[in-house]
Amino acid sequence: MKLLLGLAIGTAIGAVMQLGGASSYRKILGSLLLKDMTIIKLILMTIAVTTVGIYALDLVNMANMDIKPTYILGIIIAGLIFGVGFAVSGYCPGTCVLASAEGKTDAMFTLLGGLTGAALYAFVYPLMAPLINLTNFGKITLASVFNVTNGIWIAIPFSAILLLLVFRVLKDRYE
Amino acid sequence: MEDSPVLSWKVAGLLLGLLVILATALVKPFGVSTQYVVTDAIVLHNTAPAAAESNEYLNKYGEKSDWSIGYGWMLVFGMFLGSGISALATKRFRKRQTPSMPSMWREQFGDHKGKRLLQAFIGGVLLLFGARLAGGCTSGHMISGISQLTVGSFVFGASIFASGILTARTLYRKRSSS
Repeated sequence: MKLLLGLAIGTAIGAVMQLGGASSYRKILGSLLLKDMTIIKLILMTIAVTTVGIYALDLVNMANMDIKPTYILGIIIAGLIFGVGFAVSGYCPGTCVLASAEGKTDAMFTLLGGLTGAALYAFVYPLMAPLINLTNFGKITLASVFNVTNGIWIAIPFSAILLLLVFRVLKDRYE
Repeated sequence: MEDSPVLSWKVAGLLLGLLVILATALVKPFGVSTQYVVTDAIVLHNTAPAAAESNEYLNKYGEKSDWSIGYGWMLVFGMFLGSGISALATKRFRKRQTPSMPSMWREQFGDHKGKRLLQAFIGGVLLLFGARLAGGCTSGHMISGISQLTVGSFVFGASIFASGILTARTLYRKRSSS
């Protein structure tokens, strides 16, 4: 049952992302070159909706949250590595799955590279312990840092800022 | 040359947000990169069981009892199906036998299919190495993590865009000759 639920939600997510252009190399590189804001706006719009929804659910104890630990040093280094892969491949771990389904051969190579990279990580994982254990602040959120009981009071203004950004501030720049 | 997306970022962002909220209400927030480890674990447990069983990291993931697929894996498989269906429905499917090369990549680097595929592969290695070190990717950290106001996810988002923007600029700096 849970497997079918995953399949159903995943299918809907995949279709929406594909139709929104998230699996397009041109759109992703356009975002990183700060010329075409479509993908950045799509991500920020998604977060603006999701953050309010999740924290509204949390008010009635219906949000199955999954907070990842914040280990600053490891996450910064991880992000720098990820960012190079993002620009070089033109995909991310989810969008290369979408693009592979569209028949894009380069995305299939990114998918294979991803499986290789994850396996590589599994075998060097013991060496990564210092990066994860140093500067590890645990499962902290803006709500816990600022001692706000109901995260919705942060989620609403945060969402408003994001909406302002996507509707008023961010503009495409073509040369 | 690709056309503009079928759905605007407003509609796609709204729908995607609603789907992530639904997933969080029913099961958990949405994430992709863990499933690469689950896939590796399934493959390795069937091909090199000794190496897989002694690996601390692989043992953290997957259905330990039978090394089969779970909810998260089906979600990513669903994403593959959903993308394929919508691409077919909107006639954007590319023929599999033609190694695809993005047109803007060809303009910058020339008509070198092998070079593009190698770049795509190496990019994939870096993506998943980084995502596993961080504990999530664009979906788990950026979308689900920032939506939950997780501090580390903001850090990850800033770091990937700083690095991605710098790398993209380096790759696409103007060249007098290619």
